[in-house]
Amino acid sequence: MTPGGLGNLSLAFAGLFTVVGLLAALLAWYNRDARYLLVAKRAALLAFLGTLGAFVALEWALLSDDFSVLYVARNSTRANPTWVKFATLWAALEGSILLWALLQTLYTWLAGIRSRDYWTSPVVLTTLFVIQLFFLANVIFVINPFITIPNPPADGPGPNPLLQNHWMMAVHPILMYLGFVGLSVPFAFAIAAMVTRRYQTWIAETKWWLIIAWGFLTAAIYAGGWWSYEVLGWGGYWGWDPVENASFIPWLLATAFLHTAMVQERRGLFRTWNFALVTLAFAATVFGTFLTRSGVIESVHAFAGGPVGPIFLGFLLAILAVGFFLLGRISSEVRDAGTVVPLSREGLLLYGALVLMTMAFVVILGTLFPLLVEAFNGAKVSVGAPFFNQLFVPLGLLMLLLMGLGPVLPWRSADSETLRVVFWMAIALVLGSALGLVVGWTLWVSLTVGFVLYNLVALCWLAFRPIRRRSLVTGEGFLKTAAKVFEQSRRRYGGYTVHLGVIVAVLAIAFSQSYRLDVQKTLAIGEAWKAGGRTITVHTLRALREPYRNSVVADVEISGIGVAHPRLNYYRTSRTPFAAPAVRYTWNKDYYLVLQAYDQKGGEWVTLRLVVTPLVLWLWISAAIIIFGTLLIVWPETARAHVAAAVSEGAEA
Amino acid sequence: MRRWLLAAVLLLGIAAAQTVGNKPPPDYPPKVFEIAKKLRCPVCRGESAAESNAGVTEEMRRQIAQMLKEGKSEDEIIQYFVDRYTDWILYEPPKKGLGLLVWLAPLIGLGLFGLGLYSYTHATAKREAAFEEAPEDEIARVEAEIARDSTRERE
Repeated sequence: MTPGGLGNLSLAFAGLFTVVGLLAALLAWYNRDARYLLVAKRAALLAFLGTLGAFVALEWALLSDDFSVLYVARNSTRANPTWVKFATLWAALEGSILLWALLQTLYTWLAGIRSRDYWTSPVVLTTLFVIQLFFLANVIFVINPFITIPNPPADGPGPNPLLQNHWMMAVHPILMYLGFVGLSVPFAFAIAAMVTRRYQTWIAETKWWLIIAWGFLTAAIYAGGWWSYEVLGWGGYWGWDPVENASFIPWLLATAFLHTAMVQERRGLFRTWNFALVTLAFAATVFGTFLTRSGVIESVHAFAGGPVGPIFLGFLLAILAVGFFLLGRISSEVRDAGTVVPLSREGLLLYGALVLMTMAFVVILGTLFPLLVEAFNGAKVSVGAPFFNQLFVPLGLLMLLLMGLGPVLPWRSADSETLRVVFWMAIALVLGSALGLVVGWTLWVSLTVGFVLYNLVALCWLAFRPIRRRSLVTGEGFLKTAAKVFEQSRRRYGGYTVHLGVIVAVLAIAFSQSYRLDVQKTLAIGEAWKAGGRTITVHTLRALREPYRNSVVADVEISGIGVAHPRLNYYRTSRTPFAAPAVRYTWNKDYYLVLQAYDQKGGEWVTLRLVVTPLVLWLWISAAIIIFGTLLIVWPETARAHVAAAVSEGAEA
Repeated sequence: MRRWLLAAVLLLGIAAAQTVGNKPPPDYPPKVFEIAKKLRCPVCRGESAAESNAGVTEEMRRQIAQMLKEGKSEDEIIQYFVDRYTDWILYEPPKKGLGLLVWLAPLIGLGLFGLGLYSYTHATAKREAAFEEAPEDEIARVEAEIARDSTRERE
């Protein structure tokens, strides 16, 4: 059996059982017969195994250099290291949609196992099977990676060189798809809730999925930023490129939904809003794929173009149509369990969601604006980083204001104890901003510092108040009480940890965007250059041959830090060299060297670009904090902690 | 050095890709890159004139440096490129005409969503108020019905 044969067979198997599962789920719904549900769940497992088979077949073809398979012939090359060959599966359109289909079948199977409600499960599974069928049908009929070439070439061109430069490229797309696909589960449960007219329970049932998806999206965005920073050589981690925006829009909407879902769970409010938000968040993942894969928008990251643009646009419209049609049908009968008090936790969470949705609106409009203007009057305009940066500073500060206040206020109304902490938060805000202005930071950076301190006061109060209260009652020591309180409300502390990570990230972004040194100089070998508070010396310039690329490497010493090796990589497929920057992190700023040009005749001079950016290391640390916080929330509780928490909650109530 | 030359020969075929020939690019003050960052590279995808290594951006940076030396202000320099390439060369859409729309996006968004939100909470509040204003006998009738239903459920 050849890899191509195995791939096509596996795909047919997966497609068949997806159809079987879909029919079984529909029968379970129409006949109200749970036996069909069992069939659907088993079909979900078989469809997953089939897709896994296709995945394995494509990896087999890539790793064994089987150039008779079209995808391998187009995107791989013999000389690449094994990890690059492995990651080539998601370096182009066909493979990445296969990966998406694989993760979708996995989630359908897992969601099937976890959904036990006989009333809603058939609709949940129907929705997930339809989504899965969409991706599988694309892989089988439109962009099949297993098409066989009659006369296979001896070697292929290899993937885009930018994708071979950093191991992060092996991780980032998987994280991104896990996040995208993860949002399909809350969406399916929302559809089921609207079809079966059960408006409350779906939130609790999908909370776990939602936070997992959110965590993967966050990690993926960070991974993409890290890759941008360490590979693209322009010294930044975020450029408001359409592809970056495409990943940011679902994140913003998922974040908004996460918070309003919390209000629905606790207070039974915002029920119709949550249906709308989850539909928009899931649609945004498809919108992102449409943007990046259809070629309607230019981007530096659009590595995989193809014929799927109109198909994904149709799918996007179908999702929106189904979601909002169902919502329109039921909206008159959905009742909230009360009203929103403007100055309460739910009120602030609602305003926060409002700002996040506005941010998403700005990103969508900004990204599509060149298209809209061109369609309207034929003029060409560009909307880029300077535009987004200017608008997101005030929006971000507004978000920080709400983010600090929201968790501090109790549900329903404010009391005197909260007023006291709000007073201290305001003091921290004023002091922090004043301090920033005295030190000489810009107004916006000073305000950010003020708001960061304001949030820190809020988080400290939130974290320590329950501990102090309990230790006052029990008379136990602080640490012992802290451990107990933490064990009992681990998820709440996970939430605070995520907020702490966001604050650290905001601080890092404010400083790294405002205080960057970016200089360029041509140096003779051995010449010393004083820049950014260090002495930079180029010791040697050397050529390096690797099986799949040639490189020119400069050995540059940065005084007090060590030797860095910025290089230019030459790939066979590309006429222009790719600059691989060298980054040296220190705790407060990092030194980023790019080899811009070099003397090709005698090797006597090099042109170096040095970017010194403050606090970028802290951006990566904030990623670790946020992921740790997310893990605290989603990590399964042990039975004992569960009982203890239930007991204490009962005692509190 | 001989090893170096050998490697240079190996690379010769592709080395021609370096756009400015074998001459070091001139050292520009950071202000040049600051201005170039606001302009897009006319021939690349999603790169600014500060980052791109294409020949046309090399020329743009040279022109910026030249004009700065002549004492021209940043606005004048940017206007020079707008005159040559239209507004498209700017990464910020113009704050006039249709461009105003995208600059006001946050206000439009906050306004639209805020209005939706207001009518939503308002409708909920009105429903509650309507319940409170309901005539006494109607409330009594409904309450009796609820009580009857819940006793039936308990049975």
